[in-house]
Amino acid sequence: MIPNPELKEPDIHEVADLLTEVASTLMTSGAHTSRISQNVSRMAETYGYQVGLSVFQLSIMMTITSLENSHERITLIKKTDPLLINYTIVSDLSALSWDTFDGKITFEDARELYQQITTKKRISRWAVLLLVSFANAAFCGLFHGDIYAISLVLFATMAGFLIRQEMIKKHINHLVVYTTSAFVASLLAGMAYVYNIGATPDIALASSVLYLIPGVPLINSILDIIQGHILTGMARLVNAISLIVCISIGLFSSMLILGLEKL
Amino acid sequence: MTSEMFRLVIFDAILAAVAAIGFAVISNPSRKAIFVSALLAAIGHSLRFFLIKSGLDITLATFVAATAIGLLSVAFARIIHCPAEVFSFPSLLPMIPGMFAYRTILSLIKFMQNTDSKLDQVFIMDFFHNGMTAMFILFALVVGVSLPLLLFPKSSFSVTRKY
Repeated sequence: MIPNPELKEPDIHEVADLLTEVASTLMTSGAHTSRISQNVSRMAETYGYQVGLSVFQLSIMMTITSLENSHERITLIKKTDPLLINYTIVSDLSALSWDTFDGKITFEDARELYQQITTKKRISRWAVLLLVSFANAAFCGLFHGDIYAISLVLFATMAGFLIRQEMIKKHINHLVVYTTSAFVASLLAGMAYVYNIGATPDIALASSVLYLIPGVPLINSILDIIQGHILTGMARLVNAISLIVCISIGLFSSMLILGLEKL
Repeated sequence: MTSEMFRLVIFDAILAAVAAIGFAVISNPSRKAIFVSALLAAIGHSLRFFLIKSGLDITLATFVAATAIGLLSVAFARIIHCPAEVFSFPSLLPMIPGMFAYRTILSLIKFMQNTDSKLDQVFIMDFFHNGMTAMFILFALVVGVSLPLLLFPKSSFSVTRKY
């Protein structure tokens, strides 16, 4: 900590408000638990406080204690928003916590920067749609699907992902979103069976739903578990598995309609 | 390495890079991070492809590939000043055992519906085979990529520090 004479000591309530905001935003943006607690403790230390932090799936709990006067302490619980992965925020907030720690910015600056970071625009949804479609088509190629399978998967993914984007915009339950999106994508890819397109209809069907697999939550959950945050890790794992179950149900429904026994 | 093998590895690397870019943009990283994760995914996935073709099993090959990605990501994190996981996790996404994961659930559904007692064993075998493979690959990915994080925690967490 670099002592800075111009720095006005911020009030404990203000610090606690900012830190709970930062922690819950990091949780929403898909940071793993130990990064959340490192970033928050680093900022708190700069202002002369110590934090104890518990991270759960739906809320975070934080006790903040003054290092000089241990009677001055408060505990806050804050609800976290549903997961919307945003690595730009994770990266920027990590940088913000170091800037704070190195004494380069005042508390007021930090609060303003936090506002700027969280209101940055995301990548355009159409660009995401196009790139995800090509990614899933490339994935079909990785499993040795032929060119017919690849182009079919491209269109199936485009339709499935578009439906997912629209449904998320209307705030429909995310389990329903995943099931519907998987159903539509796999039904379209299953047309390879109906019209005998290409030599590898099985690969087209099997890789058509892979864009939905919640990769980052799965990685975060295992990382949390091996770093000792077992409860949070299990919560994330169960969440990811329930999404995978929904994907399977969507896929299974279209296999039922197409009359396919085995994938 | 024969020229045919070399061609296949390069083909695999290109497809993996395209896949990584697409799956990365869902998590909205910065533009620099997208390119780095495409590069790392190409290196990691083609390394895994080569190792599997050389006779290694998929879990061990994944572990080696993920460790390579982890080590490279620490180096890149220093260059572009952004936490390593922002581009190392997206570069793992093409290796996530998605197909094994949903096949696990599908074989459970089949087991539940099935009335032929001989087929029961087939579905349960399917369930365990797919489920175990998915779980082991997932652990191999995460342990491999976070080895540098566990070995050099200080340098891994301070890459966004500017001063």
